[in-house]
Amino acid sequence: MHELALAWQALAGSWAIPAAFAGCAWGIIGGALPGISPSIAMALLLPFTHGMEPVAAIVMLASVYVGAEYGGSIPAILIRTPGTNAAAATVIDGFEMNRRGRGGEALGISLMSGLVGGLFGLLVLAAATGPLARVALAFTAPAYFALGILGLSAIAGLSGRSLVKGAFAACLGLMLATVGTDPVSGVPRFTFDSPDLLAGIRPIVVMVGLFAVTELIAQVVEPDWEKPPGSAARLRLPDWAMWKRLARPQGIGAVIGAFEGATPGAAGSVAAFLAYNEARRWSRHPEEFGKGSPEGVAAPECANNVVTGTALVPLLALGIPGSNSAAVLMGGLLLHGLTPGPMLFVKNPEVVYGLYSGLLVANIAMVVLGLVILTPCLWLVSRPKHYLMAFILVLVVTGVYAIGQSLFDVGIALGVGVLGYGLRYFGVPQLPLVLGAVLGFMVESNYRRALQLSGGEHLIFLQDPVSLGLLICAAALVVYSLIKRNE
Amino acid sequence: LRRDLACAALGLAIAGAYWAAARELPRSMLSDAVGADGVPTGLAFLLVFFSLLIAVRALFKKQERTEERQNHVRALGVAVLGFAYIALAPLAGYLVSSTALAGAAAVYYGAPRNVDTVAFATGSAALLWLVFGRMLGIALP
Repeated sequence: MHELALAWQALAGSWAIPAAFAGCAWGIIGGALPGISPSIAMALLLPFTHGMEPVAAIVMLASVYVGAEYGGSIPAILIRTPGTNAAAATVIDGFEMNRRGRGGEALGISLMSGLVGGLFGLLVLAAATGPLARVALAFTAPAYFALGILGLSAIAGLSGRSLVKGAFAACLGLMLATVGTDPVSGVPRFTFDSPDLLAGIRPIVVMVGLFAVTELIAQVVEPDWEKPPGSAARLRLPDWAMWKRLARPQGIGAVIGAFEGATPGAAGSVAAFLAYNEARRWSRHPEEFGKGSPEGVAAPECANNVVTGTALVPLLALGIPGSNSAAVLMGGLLLHGLTPGPMLFVKNPEVVYGLYSGLLVANIAMVVLGLVILTPCLWLVSRPKHYLMAFILVLVVTGVYAIGQSLFDVGIALGVGVLGYGLRYFGVPQLPLVLGAVLGFMVESNYRRALQLSGGEHLIFLQDPVSLGLLICAAALVVYSLIKRNE
Repeated sequence: LRRDLACAALGLAIAGAYWAAARELPRSMLSDAVGADGVPTGLAFLLVFFSLLIAVRALFKKQERTEERQNHVRALGVAVLGFAYIALAPLAGYLVSSTALAGAAAVYYGAPRNVDTVAFATGSAALLWLVFGRMLGIALP
């Protein structure tokens, strides 16, 4: 009761509500622009929070995170360009729905699943910070390696018609992830003496290239899209029957997002892909996945919005920023003389409970702002195809440049786009390549760190209980996918 | 059949080039037992394995006739426009190069060569310059 009173006081006695709306609006814009990640959107706002009161400042930064994670799904659905890493899984069915004249429905499902995920994440953050923080602490190098393998096991379900071609694509993705400085010895690998490659190839550049540039290339020779009927060009919220259908994928997304979010370094993209894969596995209509399934939008959107709450667990409970966005939020706390960690609950409880109530307002703001902006977004993407495609090309080129202020990155995105077009021609699925590129660094660096810890003994992966559990889950998922595939 | 075999051949070529590049990686005093080339070498062999599997399956698979005839060279022209933008941007600046890219791409996608397309190209470049350059403060080329 005392906590509720603190939360109410924080909301009523400060600028937290306007800050939540403003932060969420900024986040949606940032997330919807390719190249502006949630952490960049937060970092851009960080200096402006300096003069604000602490609760409003922290609420504003956290609201940017909520808005940006949702905003990433808008271009993913409308123009096949994930605005954020975590929105990559939404592209698969979201864009297919839009292509079939159901863009308004896809945006409505994404918005409502985002709300469900955001509220569930907040609930987990408030209720389970302590226990989940202990789970996060149990993650050592072997466990992180096993977590990466669990993520890669989704390839078995995401490979479409050919598992071999899926594995082929995953190899290419893992190869892309090895470009850059070696995580253990610091030796430059496959950089060809180019300083631009020393930091490696950013997964978001690969995703934008593979999804957006490939689609832009393919659209040159594709016939014009069918114009959706007037009703489809408007935002459509799910009806009761659809809510019932979405309950299962949202539940799957919520559970996966809760655990992934609380694990430092795991991030929303892993949660979104795992949730997509599991939603398909447990769906009554698995054949619709990849062809515009509403469940394929609901599961990843719910998962990556749960992460906006649970990613703050290690930050608030332990003072460990588990993601880039959490690190910026930590910067905001430090800027106001607040030290994240267990003592924050003792010394500044009003900030913690103010943050909880601010996140609640941010999720409501997300729906209100979404209802306002999504119909104009749908109108925009139903403009003549030649202008729309040309605008997307310039937007993609500018967005990729904005990530690292590097034209080299633009070249990489274009190159990956050509590669994606080639993969499409050969019938090789693209998603396993994305998974490989996203998880490659995590898998390799933790594999080698674990072997250093064990003196080269591979048994360490079976001796660590968390690692063993995750590896068993990965093996079970692969076996289950193979059985389902044969059926 | 031919596509799958071409895919397998491409995979083998990529694996070969990647493996050769991995072999050339310098050894560091800080290196662990796996080494900087350990994982890449394993990946190269995996890619060889999957490429061979694709080739073998293609040889034993029932042939499917595909009717698809598309102008792939024309499609790849979009990437050429993008690379031309990369060459032009440092010389002409963001506004000029983005206007040129938007205009050229619109015409390439089938827009008429008229004043509407010029207005679209100029407006698009100006809008993105305002959002990225002014609002977000990103130093554009």
